[in-house]
Amino acid sequence: MANYEEIMMISKDNYMYAMIRSELAWVLGEENVSSDDSERLGHSIDYYWIPEMWHDRGKTPPAPDFIVHPGSAGEVAGVLQIANKHKIPVIPWGGGSGSQGGALPIYGGIALDTKRMNHVLNIDVKSLTVTAETGINTQHLEWAVQKAGYSTMHFPASIACATLGGFLAHRGTGVLSTKYGKIEDMTMALEVVTPTGEIINTLPVPRHASGPDLTQMFLGSEGTLGVMTKATLKIHPVPEARKFHAFLFKDMHAALAAGAKIMTSRLRPCVIRVYDEAETAKLIKRVLGIDKKGAYLVCGFDGPLKMVELEIQLACAICRRENSEDLGAEMGQSWWDNRYKFFYPPYTFQLPQAFGTLDTVATFANIENVYWAMKKTVAGNFPQATFIGHFSHWYEWGCMLYARFIIDAPPEDPLAAAALYNKIWDMAIRAAIKEGGVINEHHGVGLKLGRMMKDLYGPAFKVLAGIKASLDPNNIMNPGKMGFEGI
Amino acid sequence: MNMLKYKDVINACRFCFMCRHLDTVGNVTFKEADTPRGRALILDKICMYRKNLKNPDFVDTIYKCALSAACRHHCVSHYDETGLVLAARRDITAAGFEPEKVRQLATELKANAGVELAGGSGEIIYYVDSYSAAKQPEIAEAFRLVLAAAGVSCRILTGDSGKALLTLGYRDPAKAVAVKLRDAVAESGCNILVTSCPASLDAFKNDYPELGVAFDADIRILHTAEFMLELLEHGKLKAGHNKKDKVCYLASDFLKNYNQLGEIPLKLLQKIGAQTAEFGTNREESYAAGEGAVVYDRLQPKILKLLCNRIASLADSPATDILLTVSPYTKYALATFSEKKLNVISLEEFVAERITTLAPRLKTTAIRARQRKRRARNA
Repeated sequence: MANYEEIMMISKDNYMYAMIRSELAWVLGEENVSSDDSERLGHSIDYYWIPEMWHDRGKTPPAPDFIVHPGSAGEVAGVLQIANKHKIPVIPWGGGSGSQGGALPIYGGIALDTKRMNHVLNIDVKSLTVTAETGINTQHLEWAVQKAGYSTMHFPASIACATLGGFLAHRGTGVLSTKYGKIEDMTMALEVVTPTGEIINTLPVPRHASGPDLTQMFLGSEGTLGVMTKATLKIHPVPEARKFHAFLFKDMHAALAAGAKIMTSRLRPCVIRVYDEAETAKLIKRVLGIDKKGAYLVCGFDGPLKMVELEIQLACAICRRENSEDLGAEMGQSWWDNRYKFFYPPYTFQLPQAFGTLDTVATFANIENVYWAMKKTVAGNFPQATFIGHFSHWYEWGCMLYARFIIDAPPEDPLAAAALYNKIWDMAIRAAIKEGGVINEHHGVGLKLGRMMKDLYGPAFKVLAGIKASLDPNNIMNPGKMGFEGI
Repeated sequence: MNMLKYKDVINACRFCFMCRHLDTVGNVTFKEADTPRGRALILDKICMYRKNLKNPDFVDTIYKCALSAACRHHCVSHYDETGLVLAARRDITAAGFEPEKVRQLATELKANAGVELAGGSGEIIYYVDSYSAAKQPEIAEAFRLVLAAAGVSCRILTGDSGKALLTLGYRDPAKAVAVKLRDAVAESGCNILVTSCPASLDAFKNDYPELGVAFDADIRILHTAEFMLELLEHGKLKAGHNKKDKVCYLASDFLKNYNQLGEIPLKLLQKIGAQTAEFGTNREESYAAGEGAVVYDRLQPKILKLLCNRIASLADSPATDILLTVSPYTKYALATFSEKKLNVISLEEFVAERITTLAPRLKTTAIRARQRKRRARNA
């Protein structure tokens, strides 16, 4: 087994290393350029299972050569200009909590950590928008907006982990997305530093007829098309009321039908979640203490009290018509109160377990088929794996499937463990695509799913690749991610 | 290794991001390493390959931690990441790999160890920590005025509590200091030990028993906020001056995150009719400027400056807001290290300005009961 300390020291004995470090320090200040072992270790592992497993098995994942902390778009531009000159990979890093390996420095290079750009710049109470630098932790952003009397209504499980830039880069979402939208629905405008170091701004409003929308082009680009440095988001008044209600259905099919009916009735829930029988038995029992067989559904509404009461009454009527057991408002509120608890140890899955979130989105017509296709694929080919799933983030036309596989005792050998893990992903996702599923709804593509992008897009992938080549002629921005070329 | 006792914490924290928004140091250095996840990854590597214990980057990171325990407090399972860092520091010092500045600081602390008990008799012992004694004498002075107004006599105990040595990773020297202090209190005959210093309070209540030098079970250990609240509740003190100025309360890490006493100062402020305003944007973040690390001004002055500047940046009006702290260390740090001038006042000073004397000879029920019990036992 390699010795960690020796590996970490290699790249420092090199003339170019010292040259590049000097140039970075001239732009950023010595204190904002790092190559120490603590920081390199921290940037070598994100929330992707593979580097976690490598670490767990005593191996050393690839680390960046430098970690830089720019404090402004101008400093980001300076870093990118240096990187272009020396043709060094630049890997933007926000909170590092992405699950797809999108922030991993697979070729070394410069990890561009955005967290120093953490200021709230303006809260426009007339238009109800907030403008902030993208390195801000999203919990800090929400607190600042709340102090002004409003809310971003962006409440992902990773609210405390991730930066605003991370959500923008991966088209992230929060638990209230069904009413307030995903981050791409919340975003008004962006400031972006292009790969060649120009600072540009997209148009100030998201609805226009002035050509294709640049804001939407950069959203979800995962650091491959530049670095988003500022964003203006919608904010909202704090609602007068927010209420929840829970039901238990005899099976997932009935619960899904009720959820779809709520949406196609054009009610406006802020939340619907449907847990399949396996996840109800495993996680709903463990976190919420509801020990019953069936499929758990929770729905929530917020806004003026009278509207909330009316909408929840109508939603409950729909659920009751599907022959469900009414668990009441308290069991719905309990879900809201514990909504993040699922993601803390020991409630979340942890190594040595192998686990992955097979995030897929599809129409109501297809989503159940997607679920069964993935479940059968996993169960039929990998008897050692448990498959669970819930349906979150609902739209007028469909919803997202948050399916997961868990293997309690994966192979000890890291190569064998990775091979098993990749095989499950590959087979399950291809089964989902075949049934009309799209990878994915809010986790992004990163390293993990890049190989499937050409299959997913077909000939349209050439358009994406062309945009990448045009904006980033030296391919410095996060190479090898999202299905784009590596080095 | 001591840190192996915390392997469950390493396993829980090494891949968990859920509390990183509260890491006091990470929020100003912006470094991945300065989060519970970053530190757990490092310590996991050390557990895997012990020679990593001498990696100076790893060791520096462990000594940058401000030990605010905000992350532990936030965690739904309260994994003891703070305990893990302290265990790692003990391993580092045991192996002799601590940074030179840590070694020098420890040498100085050991050389100055010793306690002194002044005053011939008193109902309580008031322990004056080193920050209060050397840098913030106005805090102890204000508390003595409060005691005088309430008619409570006290003896003054000064000297080191051992807390700084303990947080730096020197357990045995810390224990030797603790023994001296514990014995001095025992010899005094007093059974109420009060301190303005939350770090010392934590040492007396939690560290001393763990070190095997616990105080007699009859001795009550109180922070000044608790004691003054008791005096008010028992009618020995009465709020007098109805000043309308508003204060922002900066919670102490040791009171809030270590001892679940964070609400006591607020109750006291409410009791004396003070108007309080929320400081910053939330109640979870540490606004104590590295209090958890006890001697952070000596250990990491550059980072402390960043911490103080962040606190100043979160004040609504830094020039005019009155920031009230219950920690002598925090008062000193904010007054000394913030680039913006801040109006920082201690709880003792704030209370002293707002109380009037009631019948000074009345003793609190609790004090009388304990004295009766002690007399009976001695008889």
